[in-house]
Amino acid sequence: MSAANSPAQSAPRQSERTRVLENRPVNLDGFVEEWPEVGMVAMDSPYDPRPSVRVENGVIVEMDGKQRADFDFLDQFIADHAIDVEATERAMALSPVEIAHLLVDPKVSRGEVLAVSCGLTPAALLEVVKTMNVVEMMMALQKMRARRTPANQAHSTSARDNPIQVAADAAEAALRGFRELETTLGVVRYAPLVAIALQVGAQAGKPGALTQCALEEATELELGMRGITAYAETISVYGTEPVFCDGDDTPWSKTFLASAYASRGIKMRFTSGTGSEVQMGYAEGKSMLYLEIRCILVTKGAGVQGLQNGSISCIGVPGAVPAGIRAVLAENLIASTVDLECASGNDQSFSHSDMRRTARLLPQLLPGTDFVCSGYSAVPNYDNMFAGSNLDSEDYDDWNVIQRDLQVDGGLRHVPEAELLAVRNRAARALRGVFAYLDLPPITEKEIEAVTYAHGSNDLPLRDVLEDLKAAQSVMDRGVTGLDIVKGLEAGGFPDIAEALLGVLKQRISGDLLHTSAILTPELTTLSAINDANDYAGPGSGYRPSGERWEEMKRLRHVVSARNPEQELG
Amino acid sequence: MSSVELDPRRDYPLASNRPELLRTPTGKRLDDITMAAVLAGEITAEDLRITPETLRLQAQIADSVGRPQLGQNFRRAAELTALPDEKVLAIYNALRPRAATKQELIDIADDLERGYAATLCARLVREAADVYERRGVLADSGR
Repeated sequence: MSAANSPAQSAPRQSERTRVLENRPVNLDGFVEEWPEVGMVAMDSPYDPRPSVRVENGVIVEMDGKQRADFDFLDQFIADHAIDVEATERAMALSPVEIAHLLVDPKVSRGEVLAVSCGLTPAALLEVVKTMNVVEMMMALQKMRARRTPANQAHSTSARDNPIQVAADAAEAALRGFRELETTLGVVRYAPLVAIALQVGAQAGKPGALTQCALEEATELELGMRGITAYAETISVYGTEPVFCDGDDTPWSKTFLASAYASRGIKMRFTSGTGSEVQMGYAEGKSMLYLEIRCILVTKGAGVQGLQNGSISCIGVPGAVPAGIRAVLAENLIASTVDLECASGNDQSFSHSDMRRTARLLPQLLPGTDFVCSGYSAVPNYDNMFAGSNLDSEDYDDWNVIQRDLQVDGGLRHVPEAELLAVRNRAARALRGVFAYLDLPPITEKEIEAVTYAHGSNDLPLRDVLEDLKAAQSVMDRGVTGLDIVKGLEAGGFPDIAEALLGVLKQRISGDLLHTSAILTPELTTLSAINDANDYAGPGSGYRPSGERWEEMKRLRHVVSARNPEQELG
Repeated sequence: MSSVELDPRRDYPLASNRPELLRTPTGKRLDDITMAAVLAGEITAEDLRITPETLRLQAQIADSVGRPQLGQNFRRAAELTALPDEKVLAIYNALRPRAATKQELIDIADDLERGYAATLCARLVREAADVYERRGVLADSGR
């Protein structure tokens, strides 16, 4: 062999540009080709069924090419509970393009679309969105979002499950504008203390911010029943029978669970997302979006008011295939199109590229959804116990600038440093009061001082974890409820936070929060798709940031006076 | 049963617009749930719950804004207000795949109907029993 053929010398010379591109963060992301046979395809599989429906004696006897005797449990549930039998044959007679036009055309009202969408089968809904590009989908989402005013949801978690950190970050997040706050755990046994901390922090930050703790279904329900959390979201549904069973549930168990929450006056939504079935190995050769549409219709049929979707914790899967992020937008759109509240993902982190994660965000941020993020991380990435988020606490200023640049309301605002420090400090003190009242391990002055100025758990003193876990168990054993937290806040000298929490707990009596897309205003009034129904009807209509809210959105960390460029506006 | 006719545009949210229609399970009004009452020990966790009557009012509202499934959910929930927490959790667990035999599910449905007049929930459980049988997601009866 001659020297010229040696491997070292035969490697082709690489351009300097290629070297630069190779080093771009986007090339750390994973991309795969499509493989429809195993469901590794976003929304266009040759194995997806063709739309069809046949009704006999008021019962759907054929759906999407399948006879009733061959229905799996999802088919049967959808046919019997989700689809309006009166409307289906008329709706299914329309072509997918005609229906897509109804969705995009601002002169067709949301109500007129719902009169059609209530009769569509999963395959028909899929065919409709397949005719739409992302701009058309955004136009449609702007109209189909259930609540007129968009909102946002944050994660407040801690790598050490430190309750003081969770309280302080929840307070900051609520003050910045989030109307829902979610936590979860590294060590599950910490849940009662962390859920209490989230609740106290949220009400210290801004009254009426609703809180939840993501846990196994039965435990999550128990914390809700006790009034330690205000709502629930981690009620997962799946698009094939084997995966649904692997999740240890069925559409009927989940429907019963939904009624259980409502019976205690507790708001809840389901969770689903493209990619979960292929990730769990049973996609039955169907596209990710087709299976997700089945989840959306199971949610509808269960009588649940809303859904968290947009791939969620499986975002790496659709994110890796062609048109995957278009499919993720399509699932948000379909949830809204069948009149569900949509908490639209943008949560789990999926890309190393800042450009790509922004591009993934805009389809929800620009049209607005009920919750643009169903988990904007209010903590640094290393503290996010949901495996990171597409947006985190380092992105607050970028988010505020994007809102101001585009005059689009993503639910947040810039808050001056002094206000943030005050509210973080106060949340930690309030939690200390509650812990003392409930005879839980003490919170020290040093911890309060540290959390006031901290960015993440690395900046905080370590807790005595064993003592905390013992205390967490005692919270469950002693039957501590939300009312005990109210009393603890009052006893600790925080009557306004106590009033806010009592106000949140009182919502259970009226059930107003059980309706579609409901949030609480800081005045503790319910705002939902009933008294704040989306009325978008084209240019000049619908929600547009204006007045006080727009003035608030104009403020940033650094804005200089136009008259005196030396001077920064506060 | 509610005989009140509600207009969602005028009456919702009920807490602000029709508080006179609302009671806690112990018969208190919203206005009675004050901080003073909490501190005096007059309010218990039982007071911070929704009644079946209120859930049926909210079901009426859901129906009238075109959300029949949500309305049905509220009606099933109205039935479940009578069940203790542990019983609700036990039924939920029995409805999980391969957790109960057909007979066990039918017994649960009968109990819901006879013990709690929960006819809608009983219907849901019976429907599950049939589907689970057809799709093979019941527990083995020989266990």
